[in-house]
Amino acid sequence: MRSKAFSYTIILALIGTLSLTGCNAFKKKSPSGGAGTEGGVPPLPQGTDIAGGSRPIVTGELPHGQFVPVYFDFDSAKIRPSEMSKLESVAAAMKGNDKKLVIEGYCDERGTAEYNRALGERRAQAAREELVHMGIDAGRISTISYGKDRPADPGHDESAWAKNRRDEFVLVAE
Amino acid sequence: MKDYSLAALMITLLLWNTTDLRAQVDVRKSFQKRSFAVTGFSGDATVAGQLTEVLKSDVRLSGYLALTPAADADFVLQGAVRGDHGGITVECQVTQSALKKSVLSKSYPGSAQDLRRLGHAIADDIVQAITGQRGIAQTKIAFVLARSPAVKELAVMDYDGHNVRLITDDKKISAHPRWSPDGRKIIYTSYLQTFVDVLEADLYTNQRRRIAGFPGLNSGADFSPDGRTIALTLSKDGNPELYTMNAVGGDLHRLTQTRGAESSPTWSPDGQNIAYVSDDRGSPQIYLIARDGDEPTRLTVSPAYNTEPDWSHPPAGSGVSPMLAVTSRVGGRFQIGLYDSATHEVRPLVADGTDNEDPSWAPNGRFLVFAKTRNWRSRLYLLDVLTGEQVELPAVEGGASEPAWGPWPGAK
Repeated sequence: MRSKAFSYTIILALIGTLSLTGCNAFKKKSPSGGAGTEGGVPPLPQGTDIAGGSRPIVTGELPHGQFVPVYFDFDSAKIRPSEMSKLESVAAAMKGNDKKLVIEGYCDERGTAEYNRALGERRAQAAREELVHMGIDAGRISTISYGKDRPADPGHDESAWAKNRRDEFVLVAE
Repeated sequence: MKDYSLAALMITLLLWNTTDLRAQVDVRKSFQKRSFAVTGFSGDATVAGQLTEVLKSDVRLSGYLALTPAADADFVLQGAVRGDHGGITVECQVTQSALKKSVLSKSYPGSAQDLRRLGHAIADDIVQAITGQRGIAQTKIAFVLARSPAVKELAVMDYDGHNVRLITDDKKISAHPRWSPDGRKIIYTSYLQTFVDVLEADLYTNQRRRIAGFPGLNSGADFSPDGRTIALTLSKDGNPELYTMNAVGGDLHRLTQTRGAESSPTWSPDGQNIAYVSDDRGSPQIYLIARDGDEPTRLTVSPAYNTEPDWSHPPAGSGVSPMLAVTSRVGGRFQIGLYDSATHEVRPLVADGTDNEDPSWAPNGRFLVFAKTRNWRSRLYLLDVLTGEQVELPAVEGGASEPAWGPWPGAK
């Protein structure tokens, strides 16, 4: 049974070796596959290589409520098929004009703040990717992730959390 | 660089010698606090009383000293206050009881309006004199102060939770503060201009400048140990990836390219590597990458969710090894743990059924500050990693989160 101190010393030694030689002493075959084991495996990220659109000029708070939010499963940034029609409404509203779109990505309050900011961004980008597939120019769409800040529902239960895992859509003049 | 490499090689070889490893184990196991008594100060009663309270608190928080009555104490502090309001001078004598030997005899000029600062300076000198180690009583902690779920400001306080001072007052969201190594600046995530930017606040001039304002996410910024480089998360080229840039601007380099989100970089003590979070394999885990983007490697395997790594930078000669503190999610609850490179697991330090998140190391590499959320209210706690002791810091109205322990005062 190794003591804590023994392990800490190992960490130092390995880190020392790592930084000294430049070769990666930690490099070994990592276990494959998704890692989630608590109540379901989070899906592998789809990712996107679509570069961000330029920011529209914004004064004051962005108005909400023009579109129904798209909702997400826990730990996931995948757009559910049942949510696609909402994106079609957003795409329709963007055809025939030059308006820009801001997609705000949100998480529920569980989870660490900074990782949730990245997850919220993945959620916003997932919606943008679908809109691009629907024919909208990526340059018209920018994203803001709020992570777990600014919940739609301040409650602390499953029903509130489900309402907070969302993308919001704001159309702004160019 | 050559001399450093040679020293590192020698240290590494030394540590791999099993005899020396056993010696290290013995030292750790036999950690014993020295008993210390604060007998009081002659002079103005009000000043003396307040100073005594600060010193007793600092002694308790020092990690090296245990407060005892004078009769049981190895070391005794006695002092005198000259003056009563405005400018004062505090004379301190610390005596080792057994040998009747003075270990500290010093005069401290100061102000009766700033007794906490005076007390902290005395406390650090006491720790230094008795243990040879640098004390943390004069360090600061930056954190996020929540006014509401939609308004978060940055604040800085003394390490013991006193003297909270706002750094931002934007009535928007500010998050993820990180200190420059010289303690003069804080870089952070800001929604001041609606979009998600990285800003830098100069604590002396109160000026702010934008570090990164690319399309998409700009967040997670962390200074390298030499202060010259910033690692951060950007999503301008697609999903959130890890980048480095020059701290004065420019020289942007992309380090990662995955289908998942990278976030939360933290630098190794020698500034050559960065630990960070990636959810490329489904759930977030801790990875390691060289500062030039050399092949990323996964560090953590278990538990299933690990985020917000913080890499300690203990001073050379302190006998403390660098360690990676991590937030893990287990059974739906969050806990603070230490990464163990032998097992690729995270060994829990604080796992109590509440949510414990966002550990940040003190510059001595022995204490952590973290946020504990209970009944959906967040407070900051200090943790002595060596003894496991936790100290609850005074509550902040609205809630405190994402703490960042600042560097030694007077650091370069």
